[in-house]
Amino acid sequence: MKQKAWHTFLFIFLSVLLIFSVIYTVSIGATELTFGDAYSVILDKMFYGGARIEAGEFPKSMYKIVWQIRLPRTLFALCVGAGLAVCGAAMQSLVLNPIADPYVLGVSSGASAGAAIALLAPIAFLEGQRQTTAFAFIGALTAAFVVYFLAKRAGGGKLQPVTLLLAGTAVNAVMSAITSYLVFKARSPEGIAAVYNWQMGAISAAQWKTLAIPAGFVLAGAVVFSCMGSRFNMMMMGDEDAAAMGLRVRLFRSVMFIVVSVVVASLVSITGIIGFVGLVVPHVVRLFSRTSDNRIVMPMSALFGASYIMWADAYARSVHGAAELPLGIVTAFIGAPFFMFLMIKNGYGGSKKK
Amino acid sequence: MTIEYENIAVKLGGKDILTGTTLRSHENQIVGIVGANGCGKSTLIKTTFGIVPYHNGSIRIDGRSIREYSPRDLASMIGYVGQDATCAFDFSVTDVVAMGLYARKEKNRQHKKEIVAAALRELGIERFADRSIQRLSGGERKMVFIARAVAQGADMFILDEPTNHLDISHQLFVMDYLKNSGKTTLMVIHDLRLATHYCDYLYVMADGVTYAEGPPLEVLSCDNVRHVFGVHGYAGRSTQGVLDFSLFECGELGCISDIIEEHQSHEDTRDLRR
Repeated sequence: MKQKAWHTFLFIFLSVLLIFSVIYTVSIGATELTFGDAYSVILDKMFYGGARIEAGEFPKSMYKIVWQIRLPRTLFALCVGAGLAVCGAAMQSLVLNPIADPYVLGVSSGASAGAAIALLAPIAFLEGQRQTTAFAFIGALTAAFVVYFLAKRAGGGKLQPVTLLLAGTAVNAVMSAITSYLVFKARSPEGIAAVYNWQMGAISAAQWKTLAIPAGFVLAGAVVFSCMGSRFNMMMMGDEDAAAMGLRVRLFRSVMFIVVSVVVASLVSITGIIGFVGLVVPHVVRLFSRTSDNRIVMPMSALFGASYIMWADAYARSVHGAAELPLGIVTAFIGAPFFMFLMIKNGYGGSKKK
Repeated sequence: MTIEYENIAVKLGGKDILTGTTLRSHENQIVGIVGANGCGKSTLIKTTFGIVPYHNGSIRIDGRSIREYSPRDLASMIGYVGQDATCAFDFSVTDVVAMGLYARKEKNRQHKKEIVAAALRELGIERFADRSIQRLSGGERKMVFIARAVAQGADMFILDEPTNHLDISHQLFVMDYLKNSGKTTLMVIHDLRLATHYCDYLYVMADGVTYAEGPPLEVLSCDNVRHVFGVHGYAGRSTQGVLDFSLFECGELGCISDIIEEHQSHEDTRDLRR
């Protein structure tokens, strides 16, 4: 019972934190705006159809910054954080490994390779940013499917945790090689810089029109994972136990793997690589909630991951003035040391392997 | 309810593990499967839930093929506990036992709680209810997994070495529990003393087939034990009439001389007899 009260408290706390984060981080950025300024624009746009802007009560630039840049960006950060965090929690259950993250399945390196092709190879289907996103998405899904079939083949028709991790590692290596080769062969320094930037991850590309697709995927993924919480719990007990409890282990792992791939691909193709979110957030949640129960961990990871990325991005865009710090660097600086702390605290690799 | 394995053949990594094993559980009795390490005992019972695929033979429950049941229905009929009692993640004991409820499709919350509490009580592990599964010893975890199988509400147990990791008092506790529950039980068991004392019927497996079957007193004869395990021992009744298995002495059944003959020359044996 005490546990239950504590979880309710955490849920309320995280929800409040999320709402506060959305509201507050909109006013943070390279351009100094007060909290009041930001909200007069948003409220005006939302409830008065922008009447006061038309009337010239705020400068056009302020409107542009708040409504067209910061708000979609904040909401996109919310999606990215929530999506990567729940996908991390899901992957850790599916491969029975507490230190797996969504990138294990090859999605990130596949997306990188796709982006590198779009930026460096002499092909032009779509214009600029959209070409990069489309290619990254295709690359991400291709990598995920290669991982899937490779793991299945190597596991004798079954998708097993170990082969999945190994296939992920192998495909990651190949995809990285493709990216490196393209960078090596590239003539244009701008192209190389673009690939480099892309790999460090950023959510500055967010616009209202690019928001809908990933938001839809993330929402669907978060709902599916949260509803499937008890089945993910059974997966965490190992294949043999899960099967004995009546779960269709192979079907469940396959379907969930595909869901994770699509959700992560939809995010990574726009943001580039933002590491350690899927790894660290579920762990923090497990640490504080004192349980691995996915019915608790999944929704809490979504809430906490969303707030985490909103603040990390707010920091990234404000700390160095106009020159934005790539978000991937921020999450790595926060995530990696925390990961080391977890390793020592939990003593992974010792006695708890299944 | 009974389960029958007929002519089960399993190949793993190109190697024949089982080549036509046939055995079945007995209604409301404990049936044990014994045999040397690697003879395919665990592999056989793992075919039940498709954990290990079999390429030939059939498994039937009360005459109906197992493939006609969904995994979830199967779990509501059979409580399976594997050999490995580890968990890489942190769950409370109550959470683990409650996972067994998946098989029941029970909706009522209060009822669910009662089922879990009853399962914990039956195995005498209520005091662990809120403890983390990772902080328990191997034996305690085993008890938790058996409680989970109880929570599944199954009428039949299939257990892979249920007494593994348990101290002697808990070994007896679990075996007594199974005996008293009166449920149809099929178990892989290594401890021949427990097998003799508690099992109503035994299958002895060797090299992927059933080598012998029958009540423990018949089946664990000197010859069979020597053939399968390569040691000297037999099942018998002690002077107090208790079923037991003893090692090293086959004298009273008159086979000690046979054993000695195998290892020594005829002259030596004659010397010994004199």
